Amino acid sequence: METSLPAKFAWRLLIGLLYVFLLAPIIIVFVVSFDTRQYLAFPPESLSFGSYVKVFQNADFISAFWRSLLIGAIVGLGAVTVGTLISLALTRYRFRGEGAVNFLVIAPFIVPNIVLGVGLVLVLAGFGLLDTYPGIVLAHLGITIPYTVRTVSMSLMSVDRRVEEAALVHGASPFNVFWRITLPLIRPGIIAGGVIAFLISFDETTISLFIVSVRSSTLPTEIYRYLEYSTDPQIAALSVVLILISVAVVIVLERLIGLRKAV
Amino acid sequence: MADKHVIVEQLVKTYPGSGAPSVDHVDFDLEKGEMLALLGPSGCGKTTILRMVAGLITPTSGRIRLDGRDMAEIPVHKRNMGMVFQSYALFPHMSVAENVAFGLEMRGVPKAERAARVERALDLVKLRGYGERRITQLSGGQQQRCAIARSLVIEPQLLLLDEPLSNLDAKLRDEMREEIRDIQARTGVTAIFVTHDQDEALSMADRLAVMSAGRIEQIGTPRQIFDRPATEFVANFIGAGNFLTGTVVEPHQANVPGLGMVVFGLDAPLGKDVRLLVRPHRFTLNGKGENAFEGVVRHLVYRGDTLTLDVDVKDRTFLVDLPTHAGTLPERGDRVTLTVARDDVTVIGTAA
Ligand SMILES: Nc1ncnc2c1ncn2[C@@H]1O[C@H](COP(=O)(O)OP(=O)(O)OP(=O)(O)O)[C@@H](O)[C@H]1O
Ligand SMILES: [Mg+2]
Repeated sequence: METSLPAKFAWRLLIGLLYVFLLAPIIIVFVVSFDTRQYLAFPPESLSFGSYVKVFQNADFISAFWRSLLIGAIVGLGAVTVGTLISLALTRYRFRGEGAVNFLVIAPFIVPNIVLGVGLVLVLAGFGLLDTYPGIVLAHLGITIPYTVRTVSMSLMSVDRRVEEAALVHGASPFNVFWRITLPLIRPGIIAGGVIAFLISFDETTISLFIVSVRSSTLPTEIYRYLEYSTDPQIAALSVVLILISVAVVIVLERLIGLRKAV
Repeated sequence: MADKHVIVEQLVKTYPGSGAPSVDHVDFDLEKGEMLALLGPSGCGKTTILRMVAGLITPTSGRIRLDGRDMAEIPVHKRNMGMVFQSYALFPHMSVAENVAFGLEMRGVPKAERAARVERALDLVKLRGYGERRITQLSGGQQQRCAIARSLVIEPQLLLLDEPLSNLDAKLRDEMREEIRDIQARTGVTAIFVTHDQDEALSMADRLAVMSAGRIEQIGTPRQIFDRPATEFVANFIGAGNFLTGTVVEPHQANVPGLGMVVFGLDAPLGKDVRLLVRPHRFTLNGKGENAFEGVVRHLVYRGDTLTLDVDVKDRTFLVDLPTHAGTLPERGDRVTLTVARDDVTVIGTAA
């Protein structure tokens, strides 16, 4: 199509502005994180790595970081395992209550997190699971499984059933069909689901705030609590670190398996 | 009967939610080393039969026996069959050699023996040296040969082929027909071959079963099917034909209204109505024969080795194929006499 030069320029400008709009908060946080003053303000007067040093010396942050990492890893693995089983059931078998399972799987998408949080507090309190690892892991599984079901189901639907049948006819037991054929073919969906579940868990604040207290506080809740008492560039520095971690996870996986193909 | 290699008895499949059965009381059997073609129009139940034999779907009723064993209780992966799918269904994440080795691996064949057998199977389908290739790096014909190798290497008791040639171009298809036939002869494998291409069925199979709407219309050798069709459907489906209806007035003679007496070679009960069939290429032009029909050439198509004519005889039109070497060829509008020998007039329904 022929486009006039001014139109082309206007289009570029629009795209550019959109990016600036989307990235502005991140850019500002990035700049502020190097500020030397003890309160958040823009633009900075002088720059240093001081806030980063303080973040890495903050024992609360560091232990919350490791907790978040552990919880995220467990949630990622768990959500992918459960998500794969649910996807298999939904795409490969007809069973009673299929509709109910389908609904349960999308429910967390439509119910506001704050409502989920209140509900989870009531349920988990009943089992004495508030402020425990199992409690927070269960809560995060609840919100991440829908995503893993989605990614794994997508992969499963793209697997040619004839290929599985061919394996069966040529002597593979149903377990071997899954292990040798289906699983390798849906691996991209499984890895993508796991990564998304990890990132959501690592990032989740609203629901976690209801459930955790001191013993199982995650990094986002720790940041939230810190913000209640002080606002200084440490928060900006920590945010930058978190962004870098998320980006690093995505880039590494993109390199390894081509994440984009999987989602 | 009991010593046949494959016996299928009264097989029925009604898919849930559909009223009419897709496969309706089907019987057939195969000797060891025999190749049977299942032939019929789209949707007549060919694939359904194959999938029941493989065990991928459960019959509504009926029995399938392989080497004397009832297959009903035997799960798919223990039936020891090989199958070539219409879409090939190769394992996309494995190399050619890994695909071929898969069945052997599942059977616990030791690695060294596996490698040797895979090598031999690839040789057989002329894919030597392609073992390390990815499936996506193969052409359609090569993928098909890979699929054949994968199903042959396990030395199956029964090989099932579901329209394996339908995705290939005409030339490759001809080559592959020969090749499959050749491989089947060399390995002696018993095979059921699904197709809706009559040439394919006639040229490849020892026997054919012609199907229509879930039923087998006729089963027999290519010759029996072609020369002695049991029903008009079979006669029409396999090759073209001229059909006449008449009443048998004397042994081997029928009176066809609007045409006259037609002499035929087979026996038919006196006084009964019969359907007669004359294949287009069985006519001769201006020759000698018991049946002579005068007519006018209305239309002709030159096809290289044959000339196809529409000849108006009284108020009907005969379809005639003549070999093009047969002396002077008629022109449009010529008056001609068509003759046909009594043995070339078939009575439909007197299957041998
Ligand atoms: N899974 C299914 N559920 C319901 N009906 C089915 C199913 N599979 C096939 N059918 C129906 O059963 C009939 C026979 O189908 P089948 O696939 O066996 O035909 P076919 O002879 O192999 O045809 P084609 O030459 O087109 O492959 C068709 O009418 C089809 O619509
Ligand atoms: Mg079919």
